[in-house]
Amino acid sequence: MNGNTAVAGKGRLYRFIHHDNTVGHIFALPFIFGFVMFSLIPILMSLNYSFTDFSLGTKQADYIGLQNFARLFQDEVFGKSILKTLQYVLISVPLKLSFALLVAFVLTRPTKLVTLYRSLYYLPSLVGGSVAVALVWKQLFARRGLFNAIALSLGLPKVNWFGDAALAIYPLILMSVWQFGSSMIIFAAGLKEIPVSLYEAAEIDGANGWQRFFRITLPMLSPIILYNLIMQTISAFMTFTQAFVITGGGPNNATMLYALNVYNQAFKYNKMGYACAMSWSMLVVMSAVTLVIFKTSRHWVFNEAES
Amino acid sequence: MKKNRVIHVLLTSALTAGLLAGCGSSAAPSAPADQTAEQAGKAEETAGEAETEQEPAEESAAAGEPVKLRMAWWGSQNRHDKTIAAIELYESLHPEVTFEYEYYSFDDYFTKLNTLVASDQVWDVFQLGGNFPMYMDKIHPLDEFIASGVVDVSKISESNLKTTQTTEGVQLGLTNGINTYGIAYDPQLFEEAGAVLPTEDWTWEDYQAAADKITDELGIFGSSTFLNSDFIAGCSTFIPQQGELGQYSFFNLDLTGMGFDDPAMLAPYIQMRADMIAHGSYPDAGASAEVTNIENDFLVTGEAAMTWVAVNQFPTIYNVCQEQGRTLALAPLPRVEKDGNAGATIQSSQMLCVSEDSEQKEAAAAFISWFENDIDCNNILQAERGIPANEDVRAALSANTTEGQKIMYDYVDRASKLPMPEEYNVLSPDGQNEVQDNYLNYIQQVASGELTAEEAAQKTYDDASAIFK
Repeated sequence: MNGNTAVAGKGRLYRFIHHDNTVGHIFALPFIFGFVMFSLIPILMSLNYSFTDFSLGTKQADYIGLQNFARLFQDEVFGKSILKTLQYVLISVPLKLSFALLVAFVLTRPTKLVTLYRSLYYLPSLVGGSVAVALVWKQLFARRGLFNAIALSLGLPKVNWFGDAALAIYPLILMSVWQFGSSMIIFAAGLKEIPVSLYEAAEIDGANGWQRFFRITLPMLSPIILYNLIMQTISAFMTFTQAFVITGGGPNNATMLYALNVYNQAFKYNKMGYACAMSWSMLVVMSAVTLVIFKTSRHWVFNEAES
Repeated sequence: MKKNRVIHVLLTSALTAGLLAGCGSSAAPSAPADQTAEQAGKAEETAGEAETEQEPAEESAAAGEPVKLRMAWWGSQNRHDKTIAAIELYESLHPEVTFEYEYYSFDDYFTKLNTLVASDQVWDVFQLGGNFPMYMDKIHPLDEFIASGVVDVSKISESNLKTTQTTEGVQLGLTNGINTYGIAYDPQLFEEAGAVLPTEDWTWEDYQAAADKITDELGIFGSSTFLNSDFIAGCSTFIPQQGELGQYSFFNLDLTGMGFDDPAMLAPYIQMRADMIAHGSYPDAGASAEVTNIENDFLVTGEAAMTWVAVNQFPTIYNVCQEQGRTLALAPLPRVEKDGNAGATIQSSQMLCVSEDSEQKEAAAAFISWFENDIDCNNILQAERGIPANEDVRAALSANTTEGQKIMYDYVDRASKLPMPEEYNVLSPDGQNEVQDNYLNYIQQVASGELTAEEAAQKTYDDASAIFK
């Protein structure tokens, strides 16, 4: 009996079950189930709640139209958290990317220890988002922490990192920069893709190291830079752990990052509806920022097909 | 062949296990024999009903069947250790009851509770403080269990029962202990700095002067942070300390609006806090964030000479400091004027409640009754949650108190004799958390010169009155 007659013989059900589409969907089912149950439905529910005064404590949810969104404009803490989040993103993302690129560039040299170094530098990214590291960070910068102990032993004045509203956000930025590993790995992969022939040709033409970096490496790497820029910008906008564990948003809301503010509204102040409205506002802001990056990218991202 | 044998072994063992289980359940322990069959039948019936109608199967608890109770509380490590020991004692006395317990810090507890409220899965037995009004829907009142004798209140005085009743007299829970607030301090540090020791009627000015002096002389904080309690110590106490006894309160008695009209009444307190932060005698926000619970308070670490306590916390820090060779003392809250109102109130520290989501309400209520009334249990708990409401327990505990506990008992004794308004309200309305966080930020803004104390007072007043709109 050959295969074809078997299929024909067993009718439509058999054919349906063995169809590529069916098989594919069945294998994708665990993901689809998870996505619908734990992402899509909650996302739609949060959109619904953003028009209500839903509170976790009392469980009331009355429709109040756009009042939540209108209130955002009068909320002092909201305004401050937007500014602080922008400051955080604008400083931490460029710093992190340049650091990642630098390290990736240095680690392209063919030495035997490269793999070891890469793994070492990647470690912070693995543990970086964790509460444990945030607690360590808190201790390092505390009034009697390691950094102040070093400063004192060098005869420098003590710095009150988390007590000074102007300074408090920088340890958080530093922590994010320290977790440059995942961007670094992507950069390293990108650097390997650049054809060696380009460098050889440039060398024959007498280009020095800087010229080679700015004229060959950067343009050839620009699509990867775009990818990293967008991914890191989005994750920077969503930073929560550092602010929650290290500073709790203080002093005077100087580290009140947006995600922490949303969390406070939802779980501490029991204004789930308002928090949902804030999340959706953030989605709009983040989409706008991503769109701007994409739109400007055609001016600086090198595309081989076009040239 | 081999396969067959394996199956055979499996089948026999399953059969044996089934038989054993059958024997076990037919020989139900501890219940009189003639009732057992009847009750077992009943329990089966109710279990069947429960499945179809989703009704709580309370009878199953009475029939001696295994009961699993979920319980949670907040507190310090000391409380966690003691509560777990008490739970284990209960489990050994009631083998049919097993506990699944969880414990948290204060903030995390309410975060978790809120998510459980939303999913209708609140722990069978849970702890609530003065913020219970927003969880009213989830509290199953104890009145029916008091009437049926499951919960024993015979040794708890009327006034102590009242601390956990609604204004209509519904018994929401049983109080874990009676409590009031005070300032714990280290007299040794006061003397080293040459600061004036606290007295029974010291004022906020005395407090500030002593704190500043200690900072100038010793280079440590005069007073440790009050953390979030600064709102209770600052607003909820500072306002009733002014005017006639009972004339003002921060929120009005039925939590429907403000209890005072003039925001300027708050300004002196905010000014004092800001001045102290600027002077270095009170921790700024960064230092405050380092204190996460009473056990690493700056008073305990020796970086401050006094701190704010709910007096049930006093024995814990007294013991820790005693190990360091220091002896702490307890003073009343400072007043606005020497001969003015004390502003202190005697209240319930927290209570244990039965949850509306519980399927074992009766077993949960029975546990709460034991937890508050049993002497062995309270010998383990050692009044860590406040002074027990049951008079027999109180008598048993005071027979062998530690030094720290003795200071606490004496203090509460003195505080309860101070003139107090006939009615007062120590509850927090839903929304107080945000007012509190903003208030702490305004103080920092006053300290950094962004706001004046009057503006900060006005903003705090506006935030608080916005709760009721």
